[in-house]
Amino acid sequence: MTERALPSKAAAREARIARLLAHYRPLDGVADELLTADGAIRPVWAEFVAALADMDAEEIALRRARGDQYLSDAGVYYRRYGAEGVAERGWPLSHVPILIDETEWEAIGAGLVQRADLLEAVVADIYGENRLVARGDLPAALVAGNPEWLRPLVGVTPRGGHFLHFLAFDIGRGPQGQWWVLGDRAQAPSGAGFALENRIATTRIYPDHLARANVHRLAGFFRTFRDSLLALRGTERSRVGVLTPGPMNDTYFEHAYIARYLGFTLLEGEDLRVRDGRLMVRTVAGLNPVSVLWRRLDGAYADPLELAETSALGTPGLVGAVRAGNVTLVNALGSGIVETRALLAFLPRICEALTGAPLAIPNIATWWCGERGAREAVKANATRMSIGSAYSSGILFDANEPHAVAGVFNRDVGRSLPDWIDEKGGDLVGQEVVTLSTTPAFAGGGLVPRPMSLRVFLVRTADGWRVMPGGFARIGHDEGSSALALQHGGSAADVWVVADHPVPDETMLAAPSAPFVRPQPMVLPSRAADNLFWLGRYMERTEHTVRLLRAHNIRIAEAASDDTPVLAHSRAYLAGLGVDAAEGMPDALVQTVEAAAAAAAKIRDRFSVDGWNALSDLSQTIQSLSGRITPGDDGARAMGLLLRKMSSFSGLVHENMYRLTGWRFMSIGRAIERASSMTKLLAAFADPAAPEGSLDYAVEVADSEMSHRRRYAVATNRSTVVDLLALDPLNPRAVIHQLNDIDRHVEALPGSEEHRQLTPMQRITLKARAAFAVETPETLDTAMLLALDAEILAMSDILAASYLD
Amino acid sequence: MLYDVSIRVKYRYDANVSASRDLVMLTPLDVANAQRVILSALTVDPKPDEWNGRRDFFGNNVVEIAFHEPHRDVTFALKARVERMASGPSLDLSPRLADLAGEIASHRSLAGRAPHHFVGASPRIPLAAETTRYARAVAGRAPSVLAAVVAVGEALHRDIAYRPGVTTVSTPLLDAFRARHGVCQDFTHIMIACLRGLAIPAGYVSGCLRTLPPPGEARLEGADATHAWVSAWCGAELGWVEYDPTNACLAGADHIVIAYGRDYGDVAPVRGVTRTAGGHSSDQAVDVIPVESAVATG
Repeated sequence: MTERALPSKAAAREARIARLLAHYRPLDGVADELLTADGAIRPVWAEFVAALADMDAEEIALRRARGDQYLSDAGVYYRRYGAEGVAERGWPLSHVPILIDETEWEAIGAGLVQRADLLEAVVADIYGENRLVARGDLPAALVAGNPEWLRPLVGVTPRGGHFLHFLAFDIGRGPQGQWWVLGDRAQAPSGAGFALENRIATTRIYPDHLARANVHRLAGFFRTFRDSLLALRGTERSRVGVLTPGPMNDTYFEHAYIARYLGFTLLEGEDLRVRDGRLMVRTVAGLNPVSVLWRRLDGAYADPLELAETSALGTPGLVGAVRAGNVTLVNALGSGIVETRALLAFLPRICEALTGAPLAIPNIATWWCGERGAREAVKANATRMSIGSAYSSGILFDANEPHAVAGVFNRDVGRSLPDWIDEKGGDLVGQEVVTLSTTPAFAGGGLVPRPMSLRVFLVRTADGWRVMPGGFARIGHDEGSSALALQHGGSAADVWVVADHPVPDETMLAAPSAPFVRPQPMVLPSRAADNLFWLGRYMERTEHTVRLLRAHNIRIAEAASDDTPVLAHSRAYLAGLGVDAAEGMPDALVQTVEAAAAAAAKIRDRFSVDGWNALSDLSQTIQSLSGRITPGDDGARAMGLLLRKMSSFSGLVHENMYRLTGWRFMSIGRAIERASSMTKLLAAFADPAAPEGSLDYAVEVADSEMSHRRRYAVATNRSTVVDLLALDPLNPRAVIHQLNDIDRHVEALPGSEEHRQLTPMQRITLKARAAFAVETPETLDTAMLLALDAEILAMSDILAASYLD
Repeated sequence: MLYDVSIRVKYRYDANVSASRDLVMLTPLDVANAQRVILSALTVDPKPDEWNGRRDFFGNNVVEIAFHEPHRDVTFALKARVERMASGPSLDLSPRLADLAGEIASHRSLAGRAPHHFVGASPRIPLAAETTRYARAVAGRAPSVLAAVVAVGEALHRDIAYRPGVTTVSTPLLDAFRARHGVCQDFTHIMIACLRGLAIPAGYVSGCLRTLPPPGEARLEGADATHAWVSAWCGAELGWVEYDPTNACLAGADHIVIAYGRDYGDVAPVRGVTRTAGGHSSDQAVDVIPVESAVATG
């Protein structure tokens, strides 16, 4: 029985695989990752394809949705620049990984290590002795005309001696199955964090298969990377930072994600100062030294003093700190020059000249049009080439720049191709058009072949380069290879390096036998503190405004008129805050929430994903309601909805945020804003001249109706309301409660130590507390309230001057 | 000729500057066979918290200073005694325009004064069709590179009006070129764009001029402030030749060199990053006075 059943089981599986691959037809003359030239499934894919074939369409859909859900929950996005401006897009994961045999991967790795050493030698020569130029291996014009050749760095040997520490290579497989290097990434290679996210998402899709598939883990590579960066600090007690251009960068998510994953502080140029040749981070505890910067910012923008003077992203004096040998940049400023596309024309020769050996993995054939012979060759073979900028570095020509593929321009340049080549000369390169291999992607119910390229990452360690056993794959959205970029609708895939033996189960934690690496002490940069402070203020301002509007709209609905004295009073009060109560969803409210979201976006690395999602949800709700809400009942219900969404955010933040200095700044922001709102509210609504109903209005806005009922058991009068909202330390809405909170937080800030002189912030907080504490509801009149409000707002300035400048 | 050079640059800020970092390029340069600095002293008031002198990529004297404390004004003062030798080519040994590209390509060096740095566009000097067209029209048929340099310089002096106050340091050169007016910086940038359009390597020279002319000669334009002119590479044999388009003459015994660069951005007398809320104003005073009893020098 069993002997007869087995073959039929196998046959059934064969049939399912055949169905899965029914539309999988690689093009002639194109190598394919899954199938050999005669249509057989490559051994490394066999088990995975069999596992896929065992799932029905519903299961596959469910699994894919699980991966997408993870990415969406984790908030993975990239910025896409389009005709309508910039938009954040969900991460386009291709749900089929690319499988590569470990033996083949080792050969790729060895070839890329050779190339990494070559690039190090080239960049060291270009910034050092210039022997390549002197010997004629590299044209002087190609260096001198290169915007990535940063002249202020010429002659500067990096601290520690190496220019390159973290590299990426884009590689693709040609028709004969051989690998080609398509481009070198040395400036600030992106994608390693996305590779990690792709892996996590893919693990959600195929948890069962991955658990037994002998796929190399990625965590070991990241641990090595982290430890290498820490080791670059040398012996001094200083920090490692990740330098980002900021939230407007297309890969900012990755910067924040990987900084958090590696445990390094995410910094912007504005966070850094140079003092006496040393790089410092501005923190709420003063200037702290930074000795290693993993920069995700292009070199030219890093220092407006010596490099691009228009850069608002840099740190003046950074080049001086590098020159003084006090900071290691990963990679060195100026490393971007080895990404130059035209360099590919010379690297084969340079490799022979420097090492006596050819490149183990060739790069795609390239001709620099600055040389007459090469220029003529490009003109003669234009139909088989891509021709475009010599200095840019992407693997594909930038759609915004004129280029010609197979003799056809992407846009009119007003002249013939040969004339254009002659005129632009050294600004152009010709590259052989490469046909990339294809790999499976889901389409309809089955798999189809799509072109792909891989990005492979290398990190320098004390023992040489280490290659990430995996990577980041780009998949084209159709059969052509011109649409690989995410910007053009391509997608991204995980890369599985598959061994024929069990692989080590690595994590970010060091092995017990490894030397202990002390975690980086936490530090709060002033800019982050500033954003947290304002986030606290804006969120509180939002809540207060929403409560005012709810009270206002409820009264409109109840009175069926907006013409009562208390509504007129409230309308005037709102107008004083810049809020037009005639709008159902006032613009001012939309703007305040946007300001809160903008502040939060700048400190995304310090936020839990849930907190971020709650804030995004709030901001999207407000925007979608904007213009659709009418005052009255509709408005009151909309404000109620917003209050619920807001409480989910404050809950997440105040329940879950670790009690570090950052949380204190956010709490101080909230308390100052609340104290000031409450003081102003009382000045307007507890004023003896305020219309009938004002006191109840104030108590309602302060969300203190229950407290009032319990505490006084009488109807509101001025004394009970002022007592409850200003002077009662047990009421979490009372002004004095905020001041007490501020005092506790301020005491825990850096510089406030016991038995020592009060800090300016402690002094003003004490002054404000005392001012309220000595008053009674009778003495706390409107003039006094307004004077105290000025005092409260002054606390904001003192805080900024003490910690945030 | 021996000169006493004095330059004073003062910045006043509308609001306190909380911190600043500047590169100062005011110290005259030693130039082989053309200029020798006997003595020079740069002072900055108030006293900076950081002070670092060095040579930049192009070989210029640059001092990086930083203030950590708030201040409202800064004065930079340079005093120097400089010997300027008469220079300028006595024979036109420059190649034909058509042969210059080959001479540049065979120059296998990236040292600061190599011609390669000065051929393409630079941050403040785009290569525009209109300046190239103009250069071709006035100098395209010149018999030699040097002749082309002089032809472009003379044409610009003829076509562009020297008019102080109508442009600023940040006026794009094409604006000045189209308006046909400007000061020494505009003349210099326009001439560099024209020469690079002809594929002649050309750079920016910052410096200053003898204040009062020798008896019987006209006073040079631009003598009351720091000045600028052009340095053009006229082939391997002749090398760099300096031409002053504002005054339509080869730079010579009346021109004191401070710094060489690709454009103004490389050699601005004071280039800085200042953290301040308001605007600022600045003024300059320059004196270049011949030393009467010139000491004989070797």
